[in-house]
Amino acid sequence: MNNGGIRVAVLRMEGTNCEEESLNSMKNVGANSEYVHIRDLINGKKNIHDYHMLFFPGGFSGGDYVRAGAIFASMIKGPLLREIVKFIEDEKVVLGVCNGFQVLVELGLLPGIGGVMSEKPQAVLAPNISNRFECRWVYVKIEENNCKFIKYKKGDLISLPIAHAEGRFMLPLDREEEYLQDMIHKKQIVMRYADSSGNYSGYPWNPNGSIYNIAGICNEIGNVFGLMPHPERAFFRYQHPEFTINGGKNYGKNVFEGIMEYLNKKF
Amino acid sequence: MIERMDERYPVYRIRVRDMDESQLMEISKSMGLALNREEMLRIRSYFRDLGRDPTDVELQAIGQAWSEHCCYKSSKYVLKKYIVGIDAPQVYLVGEDAGVVEFDDDHVYVFKMESHNHPSFVEPYGGAATGVGGIIRDVLCMGAKPIALVDSIFFGRLDYPYENLQKGTKHPKFLFNGVVAGIRDYGNRVGIPTISGITYFNNFFLNNILVNVGCIGICKKDDVIHSRVNKVNENLVLVGGKTGRDGIHGVTFASKVFDREENVERTAVQLGNPIIKEPLIHAVLEAVDEKIVDGMKDLGGGGLSSVVGEMCLAGGVGAEVFLEKVPLKESNMAPWEIWISESQERMMIAVSDENLQKLMDIFNHWGLEASVIGRTIKEKVLKLYYNGIKVMDLDLSFITSGPVYCRPYRIKYPSQVILDTIPPEPSYNEIFDKIISHLNVKSKYSVFSQYDHEVKGNTIIKPLNGKIGMGTHSDASVIKPLENKYRGLAITSTSNPMLTSLDPYWGAMSIFDEAVRNLVSSNAIPHSMADNLNMGNPENPEVMGQLYEVARGLGEAARALGIPYVSGNVSLYNENNGVSIPPTPTLMAVGIVKDIRRVITTSFKGFGNPVYLINETRREMGGSIYYDILGIESHIVPKVNLVELREISSMILKAMGKRYIKSCHDISEGGLAVTLAEMSMGTGIGIDADISSIEFMRSDFKLFSESNTRWVVEIDRDYENEFLNLMNGIKIHKIGYLNDNGILRIRDGRRNIIKKDVEYIRDLWGGSIE
Repeated sequence: MNNGGIRVAVLRMEGTNCEEESLNSMKNVGANSEYVHIRDLINGKKNIHDYHMLFFPGGFSGGDYVRAGAIFASMIKGPLLREIVKFIEDEKVVLGVCNGFQVLVELGLLPGIGGVMSEKPQAVLAPNISNRFECRWVYVKIEENNCKFIKYKKGDLISLPIAHAEGRFMLPLDREEEYLQDMIHKKQIVMRYADSSGNYSGYPWNPNGSIYNIAGICNEIGNVFGLMPHPERAFFRYQHPEFTINGGKNYGKNVFEGIMEYLNKKF
Repeated sequence: MIERMDERYPVYRIRVRDMDESQLMEISKSMGLALNREEMLRIRSYFRDLGRDPTDVELQAIGQAWSEHCCYKSSKYVLKKYIVGIDAPQVYLVGEDAGVVEFDDDHVYVFKMESHNHPSFVEPYGGAATGVGGIIRDVLCMGAKPIALVDSIFFGRLDYPYENLQKGTKHPKFLFNGVVAGIRDYGNRVGIPTISGITYFNNFFLNNILVNVGCIGICKKDDVIHSRVNKVNENLVLVGGKTGRDGIHGVTFASKVFDREENVERTAVQLGNPIIKEPLIHAVLEAVDEKIVDGMKDLGGGGLSSVVGEMCLAGGVGAEVFLEKVPLKESNMAPWEIWISESQERMMIAVSDENLQKLMDIFNHWGLEASVIGRTIKEKVLKLYYNGIKVMDLDLSFITSGPVYCRPYRIKYPSQVILDTIPPEPSYNEIFDKIISHLNVKSKYSVFSQYDHEVKGNTIIKPLNGKIGMGTHSDASVIKPLENKYRGLAITSTSNPMLTSLDPYWGAMSIFDEAVRNLVSSNAIPHSMADNLNMGNPENPEVMGQLYEVARGLGEAARALGIPYVSGNVSLYNENNGVSIPPTPTLMAVGIVKDIRRVITTSFKGFGNPVYLINETRREMGGSIYYDILGIESHIVPKVNLVELREISSMILKAMGKRYIKSCHDISEGGLAVTLAEMSMGTGIGIDADISSIEFMRSDFKLFSESNTRWVVEIDRDYENEFLNLMNGIKIHKIGYLNDNGILRIRDGRRNIIKKDVEYIRDLWGGSIE
């Protein structure tokens, strides 16, 4: 157990806007969390190796005017690329939620087929098949996965909120089957959209049209995790839409607790 | 008549002292001042007394300050008479950029609602987006952290035939999609949840849409920043975006009626940038936290001209401003353009020399522009310089002494009150389908799902509530504003143009009643409101009469309930080619939720629970959805008994406090039938209802009347007797039990009236409204 506590950097730049609830989620499971503007990492004022976890929060980094996550990714790719690879090889945690997931895919950290970081993105989070931003709650089912900190068991059905316009996970058409089988084989698929009974269904239960209903994936090592749903908005029961009906659920909290347990054991 | 003052720069002296009336009016028109004859004459005599002629900058500044938008010259008298200064136990502060009300011992909430009608009609996407941006700044400049947005938007019917559109008018579908997209893209990007609002369709608004945007924020009591500067030698620091030609003459534009030629005044619409705004919020709140801000105000209508003048006037000082220090988007702007530009994402901060560097550091860290553009001075004058040339030197008292008109008004009672002809009894199953799929009853899901209503993770009651994949309309949305407290804020917005068009006084009372109902349904104590009055051309005495009646209705209701209006906005000149919109007051209402873990939602909860209708149903069908569908005119609109509203509200809250009530929904558009259907759709739980205990009248009136001050409540069956004892003395009617077969069944005594699968209703109700 690390005596200095587990240190978490919640990364921000212009347009990230979920950093507050992201920071609170890690704080509430006992981490020592702080906001870190990527400018301070780039100009060397802060060092990523001082942290145990990099949290890429949701939002519209850089306005998402090019493609979701692309601006954020291109800003850090040059100056920080090698440091981030080392960070991951140290088996520390990288979490990307929503826009943060998009950034991780743009960076080539996810799915990371064949290495910690691919030179070019191997996947894309394309515009939703409804062609619009959608904010609502969905069900996801946990897969058998090699993510180091997911405590949920295979087959668990949990509900989380989504809020995005570009969340349709797609693979290059010419390598779609190959990549998908590879990810399945390496247990990189962590959660998939399902209906309220746990069956994999199409839209609207699969809210964006993702291939194979993919909602969240991890890398081969299992320490980089990206997902479109927002676990930080499902930390308390009263955030759940069924709170007044059945007391609600706080399925998101489990993700952060799992990260803390892992980091505490490891560092 | 016009003389250039300097060969290098476009600054002019306008020789108004020598002008006759027609020349004065020509100047008013050609410079876009929108001042009338009396106002121009007053300017002429002022400068005659002064012994000099004004510069173009001075005239523009006066045009801004005296516009309807800035000085409320037509409405001030009416508002003062009815709406301002309502006695209430709540501690509140008015007269600032937004209303400030006590939330708990340490905090206040800050909110405002404002119209952005004209710009949104010209450019729906940009107009709506900047409306959202502007209202956020109004809350932010009080030192408050914005926590939620509300949007109430009004259009012509989406099925209006293209070929019937007036030339140059955009189709409601285009306007609606543009406005929704503008709100969505701005609110979602800036990261503030859009949690409530109205989406309303009626051909009243074919040629003049309404876009009313509201924002609420939270602030420590000690951190409230006033919209004024009251010390001499303070630095005036302009922060945020650069100044450009966008949004010139926005306020004078908003004070005019549309005619066809003016439909192209696009420069009057500003462009917003949420990605400047998002860091601006962080930087401003950081500066507030450092306690270095002495005064702050956002730049909205009237630009620098309004903000400097109003901050100084409120604080009792004057100012010197150097226009060349304002960072520009385009280098060749004339001084008057810089002074009145309404470019977005800008705020003015007053800061002492001592704290100036600290402030600059904060803004630099966020990569934002901050420039000292002037200083306050003791003398109560506004002096403006541009590269050494003095372009303005005016007494503040003159600039800000906008006229107040007591405009003639005429209260128009319907020349012949139409007492309705009673329609033949309908086929209930058929009319029910029509009502539930009426544009103004249908699910707003397709709009609300496009707004990120959960960002920040504090939205407890969402715009739609119920089981995942189902969901029905909520009465109010609830936010939990503080991390470590369970105290919450309930927020709702109400309006009913059908009723206010038929009877502005009772219509206004009805929307007040509905606002109270919505808050009470959610287990919130109604606490304060913002009024946003959208009216036609005030130079028409009938429109002024409507304003009087609306204000009278709103004022009486608020006094009786002890709920103050803490902020207000009046939008006049909502007229196109001589046709005014009907009076359309919109309210944003806020309630206090003592503990967010005890909120109540509208969806049915448990099989076997009894369901009650609270209060009396009357045959008041004027303005109802039912009569709208049948095409029947009636002036018998729902009235309000304010004593009943107050007493029943407090009894319902008491019953909720004792946990007798499992779900609660008010009765509004569409009547009891729609309320029951909506409650069913949240969870798919049906009801076996018998309406025979309701006051004696034909079944269709029982089901579709929109009488005020009524709620449907689901009672925990274990507490039914306790509930009945508590409600002793209040008219309540038991109407049935929740069933487990997913069917909405309504009978009136022995007669079966309606029988529908809840899922069938959802298909009709839930389809897209586009």
